[in-house]
Amino acid sequence: MDIRDRVLIVEDDKSIRNFFRTVLEANNYDVIMASTGAEAYSMVTSQCPDVVLLDLGLPDMDGMKILKSVREWSAMPIIVVSARGHERDKVEALDAGADDYITKPFGTSELLARIRTAIRHARTAYLSPEGMQTGLFRSGGLTIDYDKHRVYIDGRDAGLTQNEYKLVSLLGKYAGKVLTYDYIIKEIWGPNMKNDNRILRVNMANIRRKIEKNPAKPEYIFTEVGVGYRIADPD
Amino acid sequence: MSVFKNAVRTAAILLVAALFCFWLQKIGASDAQMPLVFVVAIVCIARLTDGYAYGILASVLSVFGVNYIFTYPYFELDFTLTGYPLTFATMLAVSVSVSMLTSRVKEQEELRLEAEKEKMRGNLLRAVSHDIRTPLTSIVGSASGIIENHRVLTEAQMLELVEDIREEAQWLIQIVENLLSVTRFHGESARINKQEELAEEIIGSAVLKIEKRYPEAQIMVELPDDVLLVPMDGILIEQVLVNLLENSIRHGKNTSRIVIRVREAAGRAVFEVEDDGMGIQENILPGIFEGKHSPQEGGSDSGRNMGIGLSVCMSIVKAHRGNMKAENIDGGGARMTFWLPMEEEQADGH
Repeated sequence: MDIRDRVLIVEDDKSIRNFFRTVLEANNYDVIMASTGAEAYSMVTSQCPDVVLLDLGLPDMDGMKILKSVREWSAMPIIVVSARGHERDKVEALDAGADDYITKPFGTSELLARIRTAIRHARTAYLSPEGMQTGLFRSGGLTIDYDKHRVYIDGRDAGLTQNEYKLVSLLGKYAGKVLTYDYIIKEIWGPNMKNDNRILRVNMANIRRKIEKNPAKPEYIFTEVGVGYRIADPD
Repeated sequence: MSVFKNAVRTAAILLVAALFCFWLQKIGASDAQMPLVFVVAIVCIARLTDGYAYGILASVLSVFGVNYIFTYPYFELDFTLTGYPLTFATMLAVSVSVSMLTSRVKEQEELRLEAEKEKMRGNLLRAVSHDIRTPLTSIVGSASGIIENHRVLTEAQMLELVEDIREEAQWLIQIVENLLSVTRFHGESARINKQEELAEEIIGSAVLKIEKRYPEAQIMVELPDDVLLVPMDGILIEQVLVNLLENSIRHGKNTSRIVIRVREAAGRAVFEVEDDGMGIQENILPGIFEGKHSPQEGGSDSGRNMGIGLSVCMSIVKAHRGNMKAENIDGGGARMTFWLPMEEEQADGH
């Protein structure tokens, strides 16, 4: 018998729980459920799920509180489920350590992709501990060479400036994950940089003109409006 | 407006009036003209401050001020001189009634705005109820069709019904997204949360969403070479673009190609969504953004969600202090244009 990944669903609505269970069990996941914050907390500690799907709006407790208290002792992947329009909640959750978010309403393929990415991230984080990134990142025609500090597009040097390279390699390090505007600004320009979106946007526009064929239909770096940026998954 | 701002305005206007009176005095004008200058000042104060208080305060100050400073005996209060008591009483009465009058006009203006908002809300509700009923009927029908007939239905038939349910539900989601967009700025804080966003990112994101839902759509994007940063609420403008694209696909009927264009012109960011479909019927064109037209006018399907989608677009663009227009283009197809101001409005602009 193969070992199945265990998913903990924290969701108070019965029909959405049902939907999660049906889809995930059909796709070979071991599913456990919690409908309240207290229940979720005890399951996280006793059942060691491989990934947690956490609805931010729970009846007894703010989902953010669970997220924060789990993050105090565990790096287990947590995907936050939130409604569209609540961009501030998403940013807050990502900054508090959530691995990803998914916006209600979502399709099954999107849900499964997010879960796979989150689990893969958790696994590779074990293999390559935090710190210097080495080697190559490849996604379609895009290559990031972490050793030479260069970005190539279809084999040609894209000619990025130093800050532009830093931005792309930061996204590459967390491929598949959304990085919030604030996080990126702090990482690239340091903590003293005022929350200046303009400098980030302008850099991003320049990068896009260098690496994307059509800046309005990006293939590599995607915008999550109101939240941040995400680079395509590596091949 | 804050108390501080009101007070500063009142003081500034009184000061200007006083300086003007000093100058009049210097060139030898008669004392009787001083009150008139202050009456003008008070009209200005009543017009430019909130409520009655500042106007009345200013009139009382002026009565004593003029008596004390600008009438003989100078720098002494004296109400006993012949004619003067009447002058000052008149001045006080004029000042007070002008304050009241301008305050009343302002109140009425507010009421009118409120009524307009109420009307918009009513239109929206009407459009929404109509748009929600149709898909719900279809969902309930399909679901009960499956439950009641699952023994006799073939798998293909059942799948077809379930697909209908999914499509209609997605439609409902769209409607709800639109409503939520409106609550983003009709709620507590009427002011929208503007940030400088890259036009290409917002357009890119909207196009991506539509392509996910309509994989066969052919959407071209034409961008200026320069980076275009526009102050806006990105989520809301994305919603506008999604609505316009969806309209082009669903209501253009035979749309084969959609072009989105953005450019900067005269301090505005101008967005255009152009399709080569069947265009918009002339009879619904005038009221198209008000969600007014009834579905009967244009056949069974043409009214669906068009009303609410476009009136939401208009509300969003208006909330950004921009504007929007719809037109047919020669040779078939429709063009929707909206523009947003490039300059951040002043903190207290009118």
